[in-house]
Amino acid sequence: MVKAVPPWLRVASTLLVALTVLFLLAPLVVVIGVSFSESEFIAFPPKGFSLRWYEGVLTSNTYLASALASLQIAVLVTITATLVGGAAAVALHRGKLPFSRTLAIVFLSPLVLPTIIFAIGMLMFWSRVFGPVSILTLWLSHTVVALPYVIRTTLAVLAESDPFLEEAARTMGAGRLQRLWFVVVPQCVPGLGAGAFFAFNISFDEAVLSLFLRKPDLTTLPVQIYGQLEFSPDPSVAAVSAIMIFLTVLMMVVIDRILGLQRFARS
Amino acid sequence: MKTRFDLTLLAAATLSLLASAASAQDKTLTINSFGGAYETAHRKCIITPFEKETGASTKVVTAYSADAFAQVRAQKAAPQFDVIHFSGGQEIVAASEGLLSPIDASKVPNLANVYPVAKANIAKGEGPVYSIAAIGLVYNSQNLPKAPTSWKDLMDPKLSNKLVLTDISNGYGMLGFLMINRVAGGDLRNIQPGLDAVKKMLAGGAIVVNTSPEIQREFAQNGATIAPYASDYAFTLTKANLPVKFSQGVEGTPASFITANLVANRPNQALALKFIDMSLSESAQTCFANELRYTPTNSKAVLTPDVASTVAYGQAAMKDLFRFDAPTIEANRASWVERWSKTIAR
Amino acid sequence: MRMNDRTENLLLALPGLALLAMAFFLPIGQMLVLSVSGASGLTLEHFSRFLSDPFYLNILWRTVRLSLIITVICVVLGFPYAYIMARVSPRLRMWMVVAVILPLMTSVVVRTFGWMVLLSRNGLISQWARDLGWAERNFQIMHSEAAIVIGMVQVLLPFMALSILGVITRIDTRLEEASRTMGASFMGTLRTVVLPLSMPGIVAGSLLVFTLSASSFITPSLMGGARIQVLAGLVYKSVTQTLEWPFAAAQAVILFVGVLLVLIPYVRVSTPRHG
Repeated sequence: MVKAVPPWLRVASTLLVALTVLFLLAPLVVVIGVSFSESEFIAFPPKGFSLRWYEGVLTSNTYLASALASLQIAVLVTITATLVGGAAAVALHRGKLPFSRTLAIVFLSPLVLPTIIFAIGMLMFWSRVFGPVSILTLWLSHTVVALPYVIRTTLAVLAESDPFLEEAARTMGAGRLQRLWFVVVPQCVPGLGAGAFFAFNISFDEAVLSLFLRKPDLTTLPVQIYGQLEFSPDPSVAAVSAIMIFLTVLMMVVIDRILGLQRFARS
Repeated sequence: MKTRFDLTLLAAATLSLLASAASAQDKTLTINSFGGAYETAHRKCIITPFEKETGASTKVVTAYSADAFAQVRAQKAAPQFDVIHFSGGQEIVAASEGLLSPIDASKVPNLANVYPVAKANIAKGEGPVYSIAAIGLVYNSQNLPKAPTSWKDLMDPKLSNKLVLTDISNGYGMLGFLMINRVAGGDLRNIQPGLDAVKKMLAGGAIVVNTSPEIQREFAQNGATIAPYASDYAFTLTKANLPVKFSQGVEGTPASFITANLVANRPNQALALKFIDMSLSESAQTCFANELRYTPTNSKAVLTPDVASTVAYGQAAMKDLFRFDAPTIEANRASWVERWSKTIAR
Repeated sequence: MRMNDRTENLLLALPGLALLAMAFFLPIGQMLVLSVSGASGLTLEHFSRFLSDPFYLNILWRTVRLSLIITVICVVLGFPYAYIMARVSPRLRMWMVVAVILPLMTSVVVRTFGWMVLLSRNGLISQWARDLGWAERNFQIMHSEAAIVIGMVQVLLPFMALSILGVITRIDTRLEEASRTMGASFMGTLRTVVLPLSMPGIVAGSLLVFTLSASSFITPSLMGGARIQVLAGLVYKSVTQTLEWPFAAAQAVILFVGVLLVLIPYVRVSTPRHG
């Protein structure tokens, strides 16, 4: 006879889940709430209702400039991380390289090393060798950080793919490039797609590298928000943040439509 | 065929992204400002009129003097600022390190009307002073009906848990601390008396903030009553409907000379000089005094009586202000910051 | 052109390797060199400056201590959440996954800002505490170690939950069924069947959470205030404010070594030795 799950446990677990979800989402709700506040003091629950902070933010040159910078870098990073990471994942998956396992660890090492250490290393290295940092520095650094994610998602998809498809193509006379383009790449596409979304999101939200590798005319959106928090906090910071949250939600809906969010619950 | 077309499109898109990412250099001026109410006044009194008159656009970076100085030092080979503003005397060291260019008075017409003390070393690269802030006691006049008159009042244990100190990484915070140090018996060679006094204040419940908006929050929402800070900020708080007043301590009033400096090795110095010139004009000076209660440095600036009464104004008042020796501060900054951090650490 | 499989794979991996070599390992190497550079050649002075000063050692201890607390809380909260996520209906699971991934995909600055509002003196939490009589007039959680822990747990809990979830979904439910059929209670089954099988996920999650929390500076700086420093915050100050780069590099090395020193025994202890 199977003992039933005690009722107190059911209640307790429902409560636990509810509280955990509340805890996870509370700051986001607060930020969105503050953004609609009328008064210029940051307070939650917000006093009054006004859209003026959104108006101010969407017409502010500083915010628009930093948003544009973030967008540019994120797009560039997505392209390079997906291409380079996808290629590396294919090479790793085939496992025919010398020191395959070491290579796998090498490729995933940016995940293990704390970003702050990488950030200062990059700043010191770049300043010494190339001089002042530029958008190229951020592009490269963000790509390095996003690379492991693309490799992981692509490898996960490749692991479930049919290894004999490529073999079959080879026996039918397909050359290397043809095999890559017509067999391997289509197999990778879900992984590449997921990786690309991750890369974009990571780059856009990235704050640590961007804080160290910045210049007056090279400020990304998270860094701009951090600066505003320090110097002149008013609900416009909340408005920008709320817009960022909204974009994230949008992206998640898109990912779900195209790829299904359950995938990430598994990897 | 399709592959090649896609790749070309990709390459073209990437290149155009890179190209637009590079900022347009001509007719853009990069300056720093100090955020919050200061930056708003800065825009109103100088930046916007400058943009209107010259058609140039300005990129304003919010950075306090110490940070801006660190940045321009790190960027020595290729500086990113055209005009850099300092409130803590960093221009003296910056000029000696070759980071600032000497200013030719003939190219800055408004200098003729500026007090001599405010333009003493422009030939060495130390930019002219365009406003002066007095450091004293900012207090809530409702909670403290009897105005504090001495720096020693800050050490009153009864006031400790309503006292707001500012971290010395902030220029005004540094000056306020050095004054506390002087009153506690120390000087620029020995800051231990000041650190001991601060330790006592913290034990009594005082708090430390990093930036001026936090001071406003403490006064507005958290019941703070007194803070060693600048006269201009006291005025900012009154504009936010707080019953705040400013009082000069009898032991002396350290002054913060806010300078506009010409950064060396930059392509558009002519535009930068024009900006500096406009910062010294009568209209800009009067505007700053009206907006923020800074002391003007242009002798021709005329203030209305109610504004003039709250500002150290005129040649006579200029004589009462003193400056702590900036090169000494700069040379000791790193070690002082470390000792300060240790004192305030919990 | 005759190319064999090996060469093809090498070419595929090359861009990634080149990128990492140039933009990752070289900078790290540069930083290591800088950490032992002094005015006159190689020196350990930056390390001794740090390790011989109780102020710095205190900050190192605080960083490690808070990271351990954060990791433990994440395990305690993350394990039940992950288990429930794995065992509920797919629809509910999706919402639970969303609740976990959404914060993860939001910038850390945004999330910290939300906490700053809630935990400050005028924030909702402080007001409730006052209304319930738990705190006096001036109370706020902000600018305390508790605030740092709260902020960091919210940031890092998703990592732990997802890590454990990945492992739990692979546990055969029949194992649990078998245990229940043989008379074990629900909690007993959890303890003797599910928990041991989830260990790889818990370990992986703990590694990740501990490392991330020990090396964070944005959230701790904003939540802790001027008087409560963590190691990563010191590094940031040394790099950007006081411009003491060799010292900053030494601090970064100490941070990394410190993290490794805590993690390696942990992995040894919690990795099951039997098959």
